[in-house]
Amino acid sequence: MEAASVNQPVAARPSTSARARDLLSKYGLIALLAALPVAYGISDLINDGNLSRLGENIVAGLSNGAIWALVALGYTLVYGIIELINFAHGEVFMIGSFVGFSLYSTLGLTLATGPLGLVVGLLLTLIVAMVTCGTLNVMIERVAYRPLRNAPKLAPLITAVGFSFILQNVGVLWEGGSQRGIPDLIDAQKVLVTVVGVSVSRADLLAVAVTAPLVFLLTTFVSRSRLGKAMRATAQDPEAARLMGINVDTTISLTFLLGGLLAGAAGLIYALYQTQIWYFQGFTAGLIAFTAAVMGGIGNLRGAVLGGLIIGIIQQISDNRDPTGLGPELTPAIVFFYLVVIMVFRPQGLIGEETREAG
Amino acid sequence: MSRLPDFRESRWGKVLPAVVVVVAVALFPLFRPPLDGFMDDSILALAYVVMALGLNLVVGFAGLLDLGYVAFYAFGALATGWFASDLWSKIGSEKGVHVGVSEFAGSLPGVHLNFLLIVIGAVILTAIAGAIIGLPTLRLRGDYIAIVTLAFGEIIGRLAQSGDQISPGGYKFSNGRQSISPIDQIEIPFFNQFDSATDLRPYYWTVLAMVLVVLFVNIRLRDSRLGRAWIALREDEVAAASMGVPLVRTKLMAYAVGAAFGGISGAFLGAYLNSVNANQFQFGFSIFILAMVILGGLGSIWGTVIGAVLLAFVNNRLIPDVLNDVPSKVGLDFNVTELSFGIFGFVLVLMMVLRPEGILPERRRKLELTEGIGTGGDDTVIEARA
Amino acid sequence: MAALGCLFGVFALVVAACGSDSSGGGGGGGEKVSGTTLTVYSSLPFQGTSKEQSTAVLNGEKLALKQVNNKVGKYTIKFKSLDDSTAQNPGTADEGQTAQNARKAVQDKSTVFYLGEFNSGGTKVSLPILNKAGIAQVSPSNTAVGLTTDEAGADPGEPQKYYPAKTRTYARVVPKDTIQGAALATVMKEDGCKSVHIFNDKTTYGAGLARNVAGAAKKQGITVEGNDGTDKNAPNYRSLAQKVKADCFVGSGVTGENYIQVFKDVAAASPSIKLYGPDGVAEEAFTNPKKGGIPASIGQRTKITVATLGLEEFKKRNNADAEKFFADFKSTYGTSKPDPYAIYGYETMKLALDTLKAVGDKANDRKAVVSQLVGKTKGRSSVLGTYDIDKNGDTTLTDYGLYTIGGDGTPSFQKVIKAQQ
Repeated sequence: MEAASVNQPVAARPSTSARARDLLSKYGLIALLAALPVAYGISDLINDGNLSRLGENIVAGLSNGAIWALVALGYTLVYGIIELINFAHGEVFMIGSFVGFSLYSTLGLTLATGPLGLVVGLLLTLIVAMVTCGTLNVMIERVAYRPLRNAPKLAPLITAVGFSFILQNVGVLWEGGSQRGIPDLIDAQKVLVTVVGVSVSRADLLAVAVTAPLVFLLTTFVSRSRLGKAMRATAQDPEAARLMGINVDTTISLTFLLGGLLAGAAGLIYALYQTQIWYFQGFTAGLIAFTAAVMGGIGNLRGAVLGGLIIGIIQQISDNRDPTGLGPELTPAIVFFYLVVIMVFRPQGLIGEETREAG
Repeated sequence: MSRLPDFRESRWGKVLPAVVVVVAVALFPLFRPPLDGFMDDSILALAYVVMALGLNLVVGFAGLLDLGYVAFYAFGALATGWFASDLWSKIGSEKGVHVGVSEFAGSLPGVHLNFLLIVIGAVILTAIAGAIIGLPTLRLRGDYIAIVTLAFGEIIGRLAQSGDQISPGGYKFSNGRQSISPIDQIEIPFFNQFDSATDLRPYYWTVLAMVLVVLFVNIRLRDSRLGRAWIALREDEVAAASMGVPLVRTKLMAYAVGAAFGGISGAFLGAYLNSVNANQFQFGFSIFILAMVILGGLGSIWGTVIGAVLLAFVNNRLIPDVLNDVPSKVGLDFNVTELSFGIFGFVLVLMMVLRPEGILPERRRKLELTEGIGTGGDDTVIEARA
Repeated sequence: MAALGCLFGVFALVVAACGSDSSGGGGGGGEKVSGTTLTVYSSLPFQGTSKEQSTAVLNGEKLALKQVNNKVGKYTIKFKSLDDSTAQNPGTADEGQTAQNARKAVQDKSTVFYLGEFNSGGTKVSLPILNKAGIAQVSPSNTAVGLTTDEAGADPGEPQKYYPAKTRTYARVVPKDTIQGAALATVMKEDGCKSVHIFNDKTTYGAGLARNVAGAAKKQGITVEGNDGTDKNAPNYRSLAQKVKADCFVGSGVTGENYIQVFKDVAAASPSIKLYGPDGVAEEAFTNPKKGGIPASIGQRTKITVATLGLEEFKKRNNADAEKFFADFKSTYGTSKPDPYAIYGYETMKLALDTLKAVGDKANDRKAVVSQLVGKTKGRSSVLGTYDIDKNGDTTLTDYGLYTIGGDGTPSFQKVIKAQQ
């Protein structure tokens, strides 16, 4: 979707003040983002004498961030193509967790299952979860977004919120209103290898092992395949795309499908990582993932991944602060604060280019 | 026969139905027992009407999609929590600060101000908060405003939930996960002190009076220069700016006034519910109020009133009391309350797909919405643009 | 039109003036119920993780009622069960809903007893309302100290702020948390703990109990390394768990506040730490891995304190009432291992019925019922043992039971804890 952007006439060169402002906001944002790790890195050096705590936070942050990256990709794909924030995407992710858990407990996977059985079972669960969420996302598009495509932006936003509530209720009916602990299938916290004093656990490996191939497949698909080209064209200018013979409706559905697939995968990883599922997890996850998408640059795939990883790291560092007053409860507030700052001062994000209507 | 249309068009014809309704609504508590559950729901419904009118101003009149309205409710309720309870018991060397309260409250530690003073304080506090929340959104468009306001709503909610640890100078921001309680009962000069454990009627009439005042303000604003500026802003920002509408000031005024209504209602609810609990300050509440505005008709004052009353009763009465046992009677093993937010979401989806202009739409909005809907897809290109 | 609206605003205020001068009827203390039907209300949380435990309490209450055939003397007892939780706020008492329940009971002129709440935070809301109306209230499970006394663990202003009518109308059949704190400290001392780290769920119950445990542990010579609040909404507590360096851990919270995850994370971070939980987690939703509770490996390291004793212990004490209770419960509901709180539900209702019986014909007089409950209940022989209700509404029983988690995932009684106070 990198080309999903600029319609300014190529000839006009931005003025120096505009360029200066752009650079200032970009580096200002980077500085703000780096402030947290740097500050805590320094305090770690002072307190512990080494950076291992920071290193562990970064590792855990990367794996958490991989989950956010998958969900953020869903947001960014949809926004790039129809300029709509899919409010229900967080709940699709939640449903992915629920479906994943239900399936693997139905399959009878437990801690006692051997590694081969576990891998095969989880792979199957992954595929089912992805397909379910993809289908769910497509269905939401047909029912909530397509009839309202020409309505003012408020209408599909509200419908999406309505869907998000419906899905949350499905979660409540399915597993109840309180958090549901689930068995720790992969022994998530077991340390696999310790590198330079920083331990990498099984959960970290799982997150990266699932995310990296999926992201690679997605970016290849979008940039190389015909359908991917159709997606980019539709994102750039839907009417022109239509005139060129692209079936815009199908392309949009395809985009939602891809987003849903990724959310389903993210849901399963999250369930295995946290060993806990909750009907409300999608709401917070959705906001965090959206922050990640915006941070990287909405409409920009690489940006979404980058944003996800950065947000994951910031979250981990914030969670592991020594609380002199407020502890981890402050973390979502910090993430949302970053969201506000980005949207006000640099709505195009770190590396993203502007989408159709400049913000 | 020919006189009827004249009557309906005449001044009296427009006013009389409203007058009858208001009188009926004002008098109905006299026919109910003083602690009636139905009156309890009505009081809540009227408090939500005030809030919905505030949100209607921001979203309906000015077209600024605010998804964080709960922040204003929070500030209003917290104002009551700070100034009508023993939360700040350190103040005045444990003796407390008392202004205009009865002797019972006058003997308790903490800050205790008269309810009217608290309302004024809540208005000022929320108006400032509204302006501050509105500032970052000035340059943003539609859905981005939604996200930023949502983020603010979440930030305030979470700060309130951890509020017992935020205590500059020993004065806590809130009581954290536990509630600030008990809150002083409302006292209005020249009336006896209210007592919600024995008689709900004074609360009812107070909130009804608030609704009437807020309605009055709303109607006057809508027909004023500022109101027309808001509508111009909503319809086309660029055109409005070129016609001389001061964008920044107009937008900030919308946020501030809308927020003030939320603050008034929040302050009242804090006192009525006798406790201020940070757990209520969640996104779901913002959507609840937004749904009322949408159900009634964005930008339509009377529609909003109807939408608010309807949804409040559906949420507090229809679902828990009336429908709750229906599934078990039919043999199914769940309660309808477990479906409450699903039903809610479903109503939202249904409204937007079938009748996005709401029950009692404002005329302009109806035209705008019905023109663009239902034909999404490839065939629109072929239609001639009107 | 707007001007008229304003006029009616004034009109409404005027009517309000008239309205508030005439005293709002109904609700003064000392009312007599007419007719021969008396109503007893019960308010429990049925949504979320509390559902099973509340159902057990309710079944206990209903059993006691069934045993007397719904009749006390010349009066028939009508029983109404209310839910004080909501779908949006499951697993605990919701304040708005609790207030509504209390008002419903006050408005019902035939109410003589209110059994509730289950959660201490809920009683904070309903007690002032019921106290003003003079309705007798008994809780099967509240342990927060501040509801009845101002001893250690209570907030300033407690307990007076719950008794606007200045008389005591509330009693409870479980000992308060000063005792549970001492019991936990005693168990830890017996197990050889030298230091303890406490987490609390920041609710009235959890935070108060944590304070009690910290105080009692210090008194017994155990170092308290920390007392941290946990956030219910957090997906995991790994970072908090990393900070736990003591050899023992107390998770002062209820299951519904995400305490399954808390115990899992602390157990994982400190593989050799000993785990202790209070009565807030003494339910199958927490102990049974098949129902989403803590895994068996962690369950083996956990001990729980509840103010109830097992059947064997009651047999040892020759408590025939208790044996009969277990037998009847089994024949009515089909389980020989009821939730630890079922017996409390039973005793709560039994206490109410016996109080009504003791005042005889005056059972329809709320004032008489209240003064019998708090003040004249002495030497009461019951399924829990023999106890008085003191002038504050507290029971004089102080026995706490130590429970471990059996192989089937249910809490199983080990022994009685004699709390060192």
